[in-house]
Amino acid sequence: MARKLRRLLAGSTVNERYGNRLEVITDGPHAVSALVILKSSGFEHLSNITCVDWIDEHRMDVTYNLWSYTHRLHAVVKAQAHRDALEVPTTGEIWPQAQVYEREIHEMFGVEFTGNPDLSPLFLHNWRDMPPLRKDFDTEEYSRRAYGVVDGVEEAGV
Amino acid sequence: MSDFYEVTKIAETDEYATYDFFFGPNHPGMHGNFGYVCDVVGSTITRVRVNAGQLHRGFEKLMEQNLWFQNISLIPRICVPDPDPNEVAYCTAVERLMGIEIPVRAKFLRSLTLEMSRMTSLLMGMGALGAMMGLYGVMYRMMNERDRVLDFFEWLTGARIYHIYNLPGGVRRDLPEGFAAKLESLLDDMEYNLREWDSLLFENPVVHRRLKGIGKISADEAVTYGLVGPNLRATGFTADVRKDDPYAAYPFLDFQIITTEGGDALARAVQVRKEYEAAIQLIRKILEAMPGGEFKVYLGNPLKFTVPAGDTYARVESSKGEYGYYVVSNGGLKPYRISVRGPSLPAGLSLCHKHLPGMRIDDVAIWMASFSVCPPDFDR
Amino acid sequence: MLKVSREEILDGKFERVLNFFRSRSLWMLYYCTGCGAVELPPTMTSRFDIERFGIGPMATPRQADILLVTGYVSVKTLKRIVRSYEQMPEPKWVVGFGSCPVNGGIYWKSYATINQLDRYIPVDLSLSGCMPRPQAVIDGFVNLMEMIRKGEAVGYKKYRLNYEWYKQNQAEVLERTEPVLRPGIASVGKVQETKKKISVMEGVK
Repeated sequence: MARKLRRLLAGSTVNERYGNRLEVITDGPHAVSALVILKSSGFEHLSNITCVDWIDEHRMDVTYNLWSYTHRLHAVVKAQAHRDALEVPTTGEIWPQAQVYEREIHEMFGVEFTGNPDLSPLFLHNWRDMPPLRKDFDTEEYSRRAYGVVDGVEEAGV
Repeated sequence: MSDFYEVTKIAETDEYATYDFFFGPNHPGMHGNFGYVCDVVGSTITRVRVNAGQLHRGFEKLMEQNLWFQNISLIPRICVPDPDPNEVAYCTAVERLMGIEIPVRAKFLRSLTLEMSRMTSLLMGMGALGAMMGLYGVMYRMMNERDRVLDFFEWLTGARIYHIYNLPGGVRRDLPEGFAAKLESLLDDMEYNLREWDSLLFENPVVHRRLKGIGKISADEAVTYGLVGPNLRATGFTADVRKDDPYAAYPFLDFQIITTEGGDALARAVQVRKEYEAAIQLIRKILEAMPGGEFKVYLGNPLKFTVPAGDTYARVESSKGEYGYYVVSNGGLKPYRISVRGPSLPAGLSLCHKHLPGMRIDDVAIWMASFSVCPPDFDR
Repeated sequence: MLKVSREEILDGKFERVLNFFRSRSLWMLYYCTGCGAVELPPTMTSRFDIERFGIGPMATPRQADILLVTGYVSVKTLKRIVRSYEQMPEPKWVVGFGSCPVNGGIYWKSYATINQLDRYIPVDLSLSGCMPRPQAVIDGFVNLMEMIRKGEAVGYKKYRLNYEWYKQNQAEVLERTEPVLRPGIASVGKVQETKKKISVMEGVK
């Protein structure tokens, strides 16, 4: 299977992993074509779309986890995008649920998905800071400043 | 159907005929804290917007701040009715990254708690389905039954609901004396009660009429939308993570994948009942085949525990479908990124835009209960 | 900090009779706000029955007496809780269920959950535990009934007397206009605007 995919996906690297896992590394604009090819080769089920923030290497990986019922193989597709130009085309036409995942990633990481009809905030209410799941967002400090911390039992607010 | 057409003709000329209806968070027909904002004409829905995020806790960010072993106390709280698959998925991912194998007895103990947890969650699901239609007696009896299983969990692990029982490397403690015998007698009681619930819920003509035709979906469409678990198997598609991508003790046990034909809410209810019965029989097989031996692999000091760099995706079959944990590690003391895939996201947030328009308001709660939409696992 | 005095609160004799009857028939608003809600059905159903104490579920806040905040409260939920609380007619009581309304619980580091519920809504009784067992819930409710009978549970009067203080705390969380960490950091929308401006300027050139 890996050899067949290497032939089809010319511009990306395909690695084999242990057991029944494959890995495909590509970059932003080519992600959609790679996913279409994978879907037509038998990977019908989209498990998850997520994003990993590699702040030291100054890039973000939009990661797609795919599963094939017919071949019983799992594929991880990593679409790398530079941290200052976070634009990835949308996959909402291939799988309808991808639109919801992209809405969440846009809110949490700040990645622009071009072509997605609805990128309004889904989980957060009246959020003014930077996207919260990035590595340079300090959540403990935010919780201390915004909501206060209860120190001891004696001082309970009365 | 002609009423629908006439009503929307009125709606075209009169802008006040459409109103916003909050099938909202504070509603006894809603599972958990989640809302749909519907545009309604008469009592028929025309458009749906999703009001999610009331249960958002920022789990993925919280898990990056804790050590690998400290996350085990956070993990069960992602899915509220069915917490064990989360623990098993996390531990499977960590063990796969480290490249270790756990002892066989630990695998069987993990499968035992997974199946017991599946039984409690299915009981709550069936009870909720009955309660949405107004049959509250079903809910009361099933919660009573579920409490008896939770007593066994308390005996084994120490807590009723969030049993923090699985560790990377095995489980926390062994079976106590007399556990297997008492569990067998409880299973006999549960099989006897199943006949009573058949006459209350599953062979009730009112329930058949109410559930028929709601949320009909075909197998190809279900795969494209990403439905998993009993929802997918009720359309006739054969897929089960326990067979396709085995984990824990499932390679050693033989059991069948159960499917139902139909694809609507009645088929899903029958599917849930069949899975409940299969879970009881599977627990019997696990107790028979339980081997002896160690139940834990000692992995060194928990405060200095590191995992080699890499990333992996571990999936586990819970009562609602496929639970996935995508774990990324960069070799340090804390996880670098953990992403959780909840099984209710496609049904609750994406399929609603297709199914709910055209449905009456009274059927929305039943639609949600039949798809087992549970908001904590997509709000995280 | 809060202006409250004992003499203002303890009323005359007729109120004592009313308190005796109020404590025997409390209706609870069935709003499952967080992960603690999974211990509510076992408490209400036939094994640990709380209906024998007179406590029953109620769907609408207009006819309920107790608002049960089960577990953690996220920012969106806080808005709805405040609205439900203000819709309930007096006398009304709030019970904080679990250790999350007390001090943030296991999610205290999170950016999405509040840490101390007592600053936004007056809490009369707190049950600690994660989750509290049904026996602990019943014990807590019996304590609440005792407090109501003696006239000590007066959260609603505190709310009325200190309305501005509570409203100020709520507005601080719900209607925020500036970022919390390092004011001036650009949010996502602003980055898009500056990008567009730069491209427009370059096009003009």
